[in-house]
Amino acid sequence: MKMPPALPRLIALLILVAVPLVEHNAYWLHVFSLALIAAILALGMQLLLGMAGLLSLGQGAFYGIGAYVAGALAANYGVPFLLTLLAGGLAAAAASLLLVPIVRLKGTSLAVATLGFSIIVHLVILNEEWLTGGSLGLMDIPKPTLFGVSVADDDVFYWVCLVILVLVFVAMDRISKSRFGRALSAICQDEEAARASGIRLAWSKSKCFLVAAFTAGVAGGLFAYHSRYLSPSDFTFNESIEIMIMAVIGGLGSLSGAVVGAFVVVLMPEVLRSSGELRMILFGLAVILLMAAGNLGIVGLASLAAAKLFGLFSSARAWVSKPREAN
Amino acid sequence: MIYDQFLQTLLGGLAIGCIYSLIALGISMIVRATDILHFAQGEVMMVGAMTGFSSGVWAGNAPLLALIGGTFGGGLMAVAVELGVYRPLRARRVPLINVVIATIGVSIVLQNVARLVWGSEPLAYPALFETRGLVISGFTVSPQLATIVVLSVLIMAALAVFFRYSRAGIAMQAAAQDPDAARLMGISVERATVNTFAVSGMMAGAAGVLLGSLFFASFNMGFITGIKAFVAAVLGGLGSVPGAMVGGLLFGVIETFSAMFISTSYKDAVGMVVLILILLVAPMGLFGRAGRQV
Repeated sequence: MKMPPALPRLIALLILVAVPLVEHNAYWLHVFSLALIAAILALGMQLLLGMAGLLSLGQGAFYGIGAYVAGALAANYGVPFLLTLLAGGLAAAAASLLLVPIVRLKGTSLAVATLGFSIIVHLVILNEEWLTGGSLGLMDIPKPTLFGVSVADDDVFYWVCLVILVLVFVAMDRISKSRFGRALSAICQDEEAARASGIRLAWSKSKCFLVAAFTAGVAGGLFAYHSRYLSPSDFTFNESIEIMIMAVIGGLGSLSGAVVGAFVVVLMPEVLRSSGELRMILFGLAVILLMAAGNLGIVGLASLAAAKLFGLFSSARAWVSKPREAN
Repeated sequence: MIYDQFLQTLLGGLAIGCIYSLIALGISMIVRATDILHFAQGEVMMVGAMTGFSSGVWAGNAPLLALIGGTFGGGLMAVAVELGVYRPLRARRVPLINVVIATIGVSIVLQNVARLVWGSEPLAYPALFETRGLVISGFTVSPQLATIVVLSVLIMAALAVFFRYSRAGIAMQAAAQDPDAARLMGISVERATVNTFAVSGMMAGAAGVLLGSLFFASFNMGFITGIKAFVAAVLGGLGSVPGAMVGGLLFGVIETFSAMFISTSYKDAVGMVVLILILLVAPMGLFGRAGRQV
């Protein structure tokens, strides 16, 4: 007897839905919403790194582009909430087309070139005051409303983020099982073999960048409404590195792992706040220790433990219900 | 006096470039020996700057002692993280990306430990070198910058001699080129790897002292400098020793000149654009050997 595979995901979703019912502290709800936004980012990164094996350090840039486009449209032109999210995603996707020439780079070269891209985008955000407000940041982002109803309350906004996270998760799940997703994992395993099987490398990789950038742009749009003030220091290359940590820490290639990784990266420094100055040291040590778990990540370790428990449980039941021969 | 200004800028660019080169060399050597992208190399540099500061102050503003203290501080720190973190991870046969992320973890830890030990205020280095302008055949030369260039060239020359003539240096190269063949020749690859980390850490530590004497030493000086050195190493071709030297110099000069002639706020962007353009033409970098996967 095996554990049904969708069960842990369903339980996790129910827990996530219930969070605002249990936790009323505005600060913590704020942090949890941020973790949901980070999870969307990590899912996009998982598509790049976990499925296609593309180490891109440019996701922070697309996050920033999405945030600024959505924030500016909302603050200056009063564009409705969902449209600005879409615009943020589309703008980030359009910007990802700039990366088309460099997708053919491999490994380290790709990582450093995309890192260069995020440094350039950060400098543009910081210095083009007419466009982004420069180092003062982008202010006066209105409260989000859906069909005329305000969704700015901490709990409602949390649920909005959760709905979008679930949509992105389902989309990524579908992608991973599609022809495109299989092409990406073929590229990840062996580029030459993939090319020989008729996969267009540059096309598939560019598409992968595009989808991941769109995801990061939507997350950026949500972040604009989440903090309602955008500062260039939110979108340095550190953001890209943090997104990479999220995707790897939970379990490389696993979508649930990306979500768990995002929660760990966002929540751990908050949880460790009581340890004061030791906080970031403990965080760094935790990152190192989790890396020792190998490919599994947190989710892999947890499911290994769960399978062991479950196996123990069912073998015990089998032992109890086994018909005994009369002796 | 436009010539004078040009030379001043060039010297400044070369001095910064030498510092990038020293760090980039370490990054390149580590990649060649272990395939690890060492994101903590900038933090090793910072530790060197801090230990150099402490030993220099303790010895009463002795520049040589600061340099020695920084060099050994950086070397010891690099050996410590190799033995304490990377080797156990490699022994567990975790994927390479995990080791790379562990280097980011190491960088976070080192940064915050340094903040605890040396505080969060930038530390002003005592005047290690002469600061009065020297006039050589009509041109004013900053002795500080000149000293940095001369010292860096000496260090890199020593490295070249070490690689060419010493037993340990030759063993390190052999182990990096082909670990299996090196093992068959009786070389301990493990020891060669530790030596690689020691030498790369010492160079980063020396770079830290030089950078600290130019500006300040502070707990967060390492990461961005490390990233720039990384870019320099990729520019020259990861894994190539001359590539790291040239890449560092080139990156330093580009950065300084674009700050001077284009805009100070976009000086980092110019370097990145040059990097991306070079990678488009030569994906392995300027001195990279095609065919080797790094």
